[in-house]
Amino acid sequence: MKGTVLKVENLAVRYVTEDGIVQAVNGIDISVEKGSTLGLVGETGAGKTTTALSVLRLIPDPPGEVVSGKIELDGKALMELPESKMEKIRGGLVSMIFQDPMTALNPVLKVGDQIAEAIKIHQQLSQDKALQKAREMLEMVGIPGARMNEYPHQFSGGMKQRVVIAIALSCSPKLLIADEPTTALDVTIQAQVLELMKELKEKMDMAMIMITHDLGVVAEVCDNVAIMYAGRIVEQGTLEEIFNNTKHPYTEGLFLSIPNIDDRKAELKPIRGLMSDPFNLPPGCSFCDRCDYAMDKCATEKPEKVHFSPDHFVECHLYPDNKEFQLKGGKG
Amino acid sequence: MKDKEVLLQVRNLKKYFDTPKGKLHAVDDITFDLRKGKTLGLVGESGCGKSTTGRVILRLLEATDGEIIYNGKNIRELSPKEMRALRKEIQIIFQDPFSSLDPRMTVSEIIEEPIKLNKLIRDRKKRFERVLELMDLVGLSRRLMNTYPHELDGGRRQRIGIARALALDTKFIVCDEPVSALDVSIQAQILNLLKELQKKLGLTYIFITHDLSVVNHFSDDIAVMYLGKLIEKASAEELFSNPVHPYTKALLSAIPRPTLEKTGEKIILKGEISSPINPEDNCRFANRCPYARDVCRQSEPPLRESGENHFVACHLF
Amino acid sequence: MSDRTLSRKMIPATKKRSQALDVWKRLRKSNSAIAGLILIFIFLCLAVFAPLIADYENDALKMNIIERLQSPGADHWFGTDEMGRDIFARIVYGTRISLFVGVISVSIALTLGGTLGAIAGYYGGKIDNIIMRTLDVLLAIPTILLAITIVAALGASILNLMIAVGISNIPGFARVVRAAVLSIKDQEFIEAARAIGSRDHTIILKHVLPNSMAPIIVFATLKVASAIMATASLSFIGLGIQPPTPEWGSMLAGGRAYIRDNMYIVLYPGLAIVLTVLSLNLIGDGLRDALDPKLK
Ligand SMILES: Nc1ncnc2c1ncn2[C@@H]1O[C@H](COP(=O)(O)OP(=O)(O)OP(=O)(O)O)[C@@H](O)[C@H]1O
Ligand SMILES: Nc1ncnc2c1ncn2[C@@H]1O[C@H](COP(=O)(O)OP(=O)(O)O)[C@@H](O)[C@H]1O
Ligand code: SF4
Ligand code: SF4
Ligand SMILES: [Mg+2]
Ligand SMILES: [Mg+2]
Repeated sequence: MKGTVLKVENLAVRYVTEDGIVQAVNGIDISVEKGSTLGLVGETGAGKTTTALSVLRLIPDPPGEVVSGKIELDGKALMELPESKMEKIRGGLVSMIFQDPMTALNPVLKVGDQIAEAIKIHQQLSQDKALQKAREMLEMVGIPGARMNEYPHQFSGGMKQRVVIAIALSCSPKLLIADEPTTALDVTIQAQVLELMKELKEKMDMAMIMITHDLGVVAEVCDNVAIMYAGRIVEQGTLEEIFNNTKHPYTEGLFLSIPNIDDRKAELKPIRGLMSDPFNLPPGCSFCDRCDYAMDKCATEKPEKVHFSPDHFVECHLYPDNKEFQLKGGKG
Repeated sequence: MKDKEVLLQVRNLKKYFDTPKGKLHAVDDITFDLRKGKTLGLVGESGCGKSTTGRVILRLLEATDGEIIYNGKNIRELSPKEMRALRKEIQIIFQDPFSSLDPRMTVSEIIEEPIKLNKLIRDRKKRFERVLELMDLVGLSRRLMNTYPHELDGGRRQRIGIARALALDTKFIVCDEPVSALDVSIQAQILNLLKELQKKLGLTYIFITHDLSVVNHFSDDIAVMYLGKLIEKASAEELFSNPVHPYTKALLSAIPRPTLEKTGEKIILKGEISSPINPEDNCRFANRCPYARDVCRQSEPPLRESGENHFVACHLF
Repeated sequence: MSDRTLSRKMIPATKKRSQALDVWKRLRKSNSAIAGLILIFIFLCLAVFAPLIADYENDALKMNIIERLQSPGADHWFGTDEMGRDIFARIVYGTRISLFVGVISVSIALTLGGTLGAIAGYYGGKIDNIIMRTLDVLLAIPTILLAITIVAALGASILNLMIAVGISNIPGFARVVRAAVLSIKDQEFIEAARAIGSRDHTIILKHVLPNSMAPIIVFATLKVASAIMATASLSFIGLGIQPPTPEWGSMLAGGRAYIRDNMYIVLYPGLAIVLTVLSLNLIGDGLRDALDPKLK
């Protein structure tokens, strides 16, 4: 390991709305090592996007409010920076790719100009030089430089996503946050884009946070995995630890919900019920009413972190007393 | 396949759309059979014509050409009246649980509508009981009957759509990506429900999806589409264990698997999908196919039997 | 999100809830809609009970040169006009005609224009082209000119006036309804309705129109005002309500010449029109929201 790029401590974010307070993120710690990829996994509404936006200090305020938290990016404490400095950091030190490639590009600007524009925000370059660099970026993501004078609608979904990646990488960020970058793409195109991202990450020696709900994607690109549920990270560890030594009942539930492509007869064991209402989280473990292992104290006491290795921890009452406990679902 | 088991026969089905740039071949000459009580999975990338196929079969869109024979009758030749009668048997479940329910109707109104409309149960009380029964059947709590769709989550909405599809004398359902918009944990709930209903009610499904793990889990037979063409068709077991078409192979290898044991090399396709508008007489996969040869650019490969009940459209075979 | 809303509706449901009651419950929560309803109710009362409030023959019709152009006072609450007629009495009786003409002519335009627009939008293609191009021709002629032509052809009477104002507003309504229908008709729930065997007219009436209400309601309430004004213009050139029948628009038009010294002549009829339009708008806005179950 070559040091930490991103360190988030005790981040809590809420949205104050007319209907009540949404506790979107409730005290999470993340750290991302140089050159490594952290997978942030969870279902809709778990707080993945909110976490990512906090790192960029882009939480819409109102209704959003960062309640607590320290964010350190490449040694800089972001929470204390004035907005003007933050603008330099976004797209420079850290870039973000959003889920929908269709809406991330301006439909009336040529793709080359859009990349050049992003470059000029952070680097003092002439228009010619910026365009030259834009062309290189486009070629780097596998699109012929000659197509830089075309408009987004002339590109397919996968190509658009590659342009978005080119823009995000144009200033060689230290950290790339990708929010479901391939969800809107087809399988074969997804494979292309993931391959490209892996390759570029190596080449640019960049760290990455990959937000996704697809454990298949995680298995392919991530080094570490954080499983998010109702605004908490309920289990975190290396890829190997999460996949082969699953500890949290929710993580196990996720694995058992996915149809196994190599065994078509395997039965699906869905997690019952729905994620707790973020307006009104239960006092104990948020997963309590869906958990097959729930005990009395799960309903009343928040579980503490239990470490299995320096990297691997879970938040679950099953373990503090009995570290040997085995989940029964055949996983782990 | 014995003929008497066959519920639906689709023969040389075509659907072209007129666009300013020319004729868009959304579905181009596809043929398949569907056995009673079984599930045919229809897979392919977005825009390859899966939904259009489903809609044309239900005559929500009029086909350009071809035959759709359901229980011995050609659906395309039915009069509007006969068609309305048939609609009691053939139904559809949509992908988007948000836009497929009328936002101004409550849950019970949505489920009741088909019963009322087709005058299946005239007595109000009995009709209402039937609605509650259907809600039980799909696992919707009765207390939700007076809520509006927007107050519910995707999984529950999808259950409403399923209840609506079951409200009539349903025998055959086109499921158009019924779980694509849902989270994995909810997705599994709905898949299990659909399977259970199939067993209980003897339903026949066409299951449209772009997710190959889902289709493998769910279907008896699978048909793979590419740009309006049916390029490979076999039983699920056969297709997954022995894919023949280069596109199917690439597709299968490209699925990100949630496991650390890596099996086989990924085939990363190069090139872009070609346009479905006025396609030339060639293999539509030729510009991305690693095995493409001259003959592939000169003529279109027909669908041929490559093994028992295994059909493939490729010049290599 | 869902569970929170669920808990509010935990009451075990055994009865279906009534849509009309729901709409009324939501409408009741809007203060401005209630204010609008009260205002319109007052106007309706004026119209119905006019004979109890003022004497039609003596106050509203009979000229009385001696008492012309009197300022508002105890005898004449709103003053008198250039012919010495009591403005208050004329406004009260005018309510009958103006409200009636406004609402009926908009209803005509809404029914015909709405039907055409719905058909054009729903079926699209050739039908759409024929309907909309024909209406475009009508639209090219200024509304008022069109109305003049129609009344001139049919002959001047209240009924013909309403027909003329109604017809001249058809293209506008057709456009609004068509646009609203277009935004709804490609949604999947329309297809779902077709899949269960609904016929086109059921789909349009039950699913398309209820979901495209918002812009239509707003447009209709605005159009009531312009219908009242159009009636006035037609009356002014002798094609509408014949003097001395009291009608707000013509009162406004007739008082024009005296505006400098006797402002109240136009003030009160103007106020009556503004209040009517305002109340209709308030009701329209409230109704639009109340009809949408997504807004609590
Ligand atoms: N602008 C906002 N106003 C109010 N609530 C919000 C807002 N943005 C997010 N939330 C709420 O915060 C919680 C976490 O949202 P977030 O978007 O981070 O989830 P996510 O895991 O990224 O989900 P998805 O997979 O849908 O993107 C959710 O309950 C969401 O409804
Ligand atoms: N109403 C329509 N008019 C024109 N083109 C259409 C229409 N519906 C679908 N298409 C086109 O037909 C092709 C197949 O579409 P569709 O069946 O929806 O694909 P899928 O369901 O596989 O995503 C696409 O190229 C799509 O753009
Ligand atoms: S703390 Fe209790 S309820 Fe929560 S995951 Fe662990 S066992 Fe289940
Ligand atoms: S016909 Fe040719 S181009 Fe098409 S899939 Fe077969 S080998 Fe590839
Ligand atoms: Mg998100
Ligand atoms: Mg589709």
